[in-house]
Amino acid sequence: MSTNVPRANPLRRFTPLLWVGPAAALIIGVVIWPVVVMATTSTLNISPDGFNLGSAGLGNYRELFQEIALPGVLMRTAVWVVGVVVVTMVVSLLLAQLFNQAFPGRRVARWALIAPWGASVMMTSLIFRWALNAQNGVVNVILHDLGLVNLGTDQADWLGRPVAAFVWMMAVAVFVSLPFSTYAILAGLQTMDSAVYEAARVDGASPWRIYRSITLPLLRPALIVATLINVINVFNSFPIIWEMTRGGPGYSTSTTTTFMFILKQSYIGESAALSVINFAIVVIVALVFLKVAKWKDQVD
Amino acid sequence: MSRKLIASLAIAGVGSLALTACAGGGGTKSTSAGTGPGGVTTLKLVVADYGTGPSNTSSKYWQSIITAFEAQNPKIKVNVTAINWNDFDNQVQTMIQNHQYPDITEGDYFANYAQEKLLYSADQVLSNPDNLLPVFKNQGSYDGVQYGMPWTTSSRTLFYNKKLFAEAGITTPPTTWAQVQTDATKIKATGNVGYGLPLGPEEAQAEALLWFLGNGGGYQNASGQYDINSTQNVQTLDFLKSFVASGVTEPNPASKNRTDLWQQFASGTIGMINGSPALIPIINSGGKLTSSDWASVQIPGKNGPLNTTLGVCDNVAAFNANGHQAAIKAFLDFAYQDKYQLQFDKEYDLLPATTSATQALSSDPIFGPFLKALPQSVQYPSTTSWANTKTQIQQTIGTALTGNPKSVLDQIQQTATKSQ
Amino acid sequence: MSSIAEPLPAETLSGESLPPKRVRRPRAPITTRKLILSVIAYAVALVFVLPYVFMVLTAMRPASDISAPTLLPDHFDFSNFTSIWSTGFGSNLGASLIVAGGATVLVLLVAVPAAYYCARRRFRGRMLFLVMVLATQMFQPAAMLVGIQREFIQFNLPPLVSLILINGGFNMAFAIWILTAYFSSIPAELEEAAMVDGSSRLGALGRITLPLAMPGIMTALIFTFIAAWNEFIVALTLTLGQSSGNTPLTVAINNYIGQYSIDWGHLFAGSVIATVPVIILFAAIEGRVVGGLTAGSIK
Repeated sequence: MSTNVPRANPLRRFTPLLWVGPAAALIIGVVIWPVVVMATTSTLNISPDGFNLGSAGLGNYRELFQEIALPGVLMRTAVWVVGVVVVTMVVSLLLAQLFNQAFPGRRVARWALIAPWGASVMMTSLIFRWALNAQNGVVNVILHDLGLVNLGTDQADWLGRPVAAFVWMMAVAVFVSLPFSTYAILAGLQTMDSAVYEAARVDGASPWRIYRSITLPLLRPALIVATLINVINVFNSFPIIWEMTRGGPGYSTSTTTTFMFILKQSYIGESAALSVINFAIVVIVALVFLKVAKWKDQVD
Repeated sequence: MSRKLIASLAIAGVGSLALTACAGGGGTKSTSAGTGPGGVTTLKLVVADYGTGPSNTSSKYWQSIITAFEAQNPKIKVNVTAINWNDFDNQVQTMIQNHQYPDITEGDYFANYAQEKLLYSADQVLSNPDNLLPVFKNQGSYDGVQYGMPWTTSSRTLFYNKKLFAEAGITTPPTTWAQVQTDATKIKATGNVGYGLPLGPEEAQAEALLWFLGNGGGYQNASGQYDINSTQNVQTLDFLKSFVASGVTEPNPASKNRTDLWQQFASGTIGMINGSPALIPIINSGGKLTSSDWASVQIPGKNGPLNTTLGVCDNVAAFNANGHQAAIKAFLDFAYQDKYQLQFDKEYDLLPATTSATQALSSDPIFGPFLKALPQSVQYPSTTSWANTKTQIQQTIGTALTGNPKSVLDQIQQTATKSQ
Repeated sequence: MSSIAEPLPAETLSGESLPPKRVRRPRAPITTRKLILSVIAYAVALVFVLPYVFMVLTAMRPASDISAPTLLPDHFDFSNFTSIWSTGFGSNLGASLIVAGGATVLVLLVAVPAAYYCARRRFRGRMLFLVMVLATQMFQPAAMLVGIQREFIQFNLPPLVSLILINGGFNMAFAIWILTAYFSSIPAELEEAAMVDGSSRLGALGRITLPLAMPGIMTALIFTFIAAWNEFIVALTLTLGQSSGNTPLTVAINNYIGQYSIDWGHLFAGSVIATVPVIILFAAIEGRVVGGLTAGSIK
């Protein structure tokens, strides 16, 4: 540092680092660096015991694309994400509307809504696995008492049939995604100005018309963000499928996240390759989604 | 507008909670257990947990050995970690991937570790390696040297529910597949499950092998080569396919795990199931079947009872990365005493792994039959590709029941021979 | 993207006052419509808590009754809740508290200064930093399993410390966003007035701004805590080689799934106990979170 420069200047340049540096360091070290490690791992030949046996080039990717199970896994992932997110958003809109009304005991009822978020997803998945047991699961006991299902039969064995198991697991994913989406939309509803509604009502607009022309447009930012976050979370969801079916039989209830985990036990490089692809999918989907949402902005 | 966006973004963070009960993990290097202050060596012992709950967790059993051992050997300290069985392979593999080597493991052992030269051989860390049951020697060997030291063993028999047999009018237990089919059909008619067939991801490799053996098949041929897609094995799965289709098993065997079915057998609603001595305490704690309500016999094969069975042993392996050979040897010699072997078997209803302990137990009324089957038992393969093969069998063999047995077995054979 | 990534410049907000108070609607008389609404809302609320009610009921079943096909246990048995403590469950509870508490403290220590500075100052690299924060919102440990695992090979830290770092890092983005929004909405004039009266900048921040930003801070706190508390797979892999007493609750609970049998009674008793601290924390600060979470409004 040369002496004829005022001392405050060079120091001042580093002030932002003092305030923002630790946060940036933590994010880069814990969140961004693993992505780099993952990308390099996907081009290495790694033995099951984690020994680096040299470069594999794109060999891991080739191996991955030769996996017979992969097309089915990708298809199921698409169904899983689209299905869970669409149902979650529609139900959340209804729930938010319902819980935005004033009624006695609303506070308690809203508390109940938070339950799936307070308990860990792993526990919730295990509860559902237990409740769907073909012999004595609560769900089957209730259905049995209603005369719909016989205990211990194929019909009661929800998690044993791939399609039924997948539908149930999607239902659980919706269940654990609802609290967040509902609250995000509720927050949006609360910021609305009641004067606008009064004016619309005075003009004689029907409730549905008001909802379509005023509420939904105003909710757009909340909906965009909630949808995007849900897409990312649902795509990366692991514990539900892992705890309920382990992705089996075969890979018939696996999505890319569980498939990646199963691969990781034996083929680290291939698993890293799938992680990279997963990651690329998330980033692309998010960017496309934001672009579409913005593009609509300009049209409106 | 954009203020609302920020607000929504803020609440968006909730999303990161909605489904993220999951995150990947690595491990942090725990400091290598070197020789600490005062010349004390600390050994890291990692064991599978055989307990059925908090009261009989394996760390208690090991801790009692360690306490006695440390009293005699003040220069050696042993830290024990018990890992849930279902995570054991995965966790030990992760430890090794992370270069946080344990000194001793007890549980599954893979030939890979020997191949990577990570292990001490049995004669380096045991004063009397010949006391280990000879039948398991091959299974723990790599290139003719024994690295995996059997610690506890078990063999399989067919458990059957005498009450249900009587109810269905069956007088003798089955000895052939055809009889299994007939008996299961009769039991099914009483409204119970005829035969419990766990081919789900947990333990399918065991159940499948027991059926393959019944038709003269198996995972390897006589010369030790993988022969998973042999004609006999395809036939076996064809039989199982029709067996399941006739509705006498539980629904969807491809997704059913042994834990659930054993519990169901203990609750008295399954006629027959393959089991090991570990099923006995589960039957007892279920409180539904008394000891006269069930019995166990040799497993039926296609044309008669199996003269071999699946003998499973869990192995001790000693890792050389931390260079604690002398301390490991002292500890293993101490732990392999007959009294600790027998204590383990009594605690977890398993069988001993040393010749001297086996002799001490051979007249036991409950364990006797299982011990008789041990010397003729067949083991899992011990090649380096077995770990991956096993994972694939667990995940996919059940799909043969609704799919094409030949192509499922072809796939597994490909995995088994790929890395050989 | 940039319209989202760009928190409002302080000057556009300086004309506005503090976030408006929540206005309590006057209680209207109960009408039929309202009655129907409340019935539906209660039914929905019931659906949301029902699975957890059955979790509690299963935890109270005696072992002999555990697989009986009935809705209710034949009698209530609390032994699962008492015997679980003899297994070192208390130290698992402690480990979870260390991880979740540590991650929360870390996030607040690091996110509050960063968010405050981003809200008040336009410095070089600010946009880059905010975009980076936003982008990490898309990153999930699940997708980066392999990378995290291999990265942490090189570190030499006690597992609980690593867990604090990882849980902190992955929950940082949300905290910075909500806090930036909050600090932006607090007029800088308030601080400047205090500084004219002789406070230092830090003094003004501590005495004026932080109390006003408390709802945002509480929100960041509870979200981070619950995320870290319920985290499972990182905990599972990072506590390798630890004696079972040093693992967080989620890992300990998963251990009731054994090789030969699943101890459902203890598994659910442990799960029930594990949710108690979350409920206590919620009850303690619920009213202070963003205008009350249950009012559900973020201003």
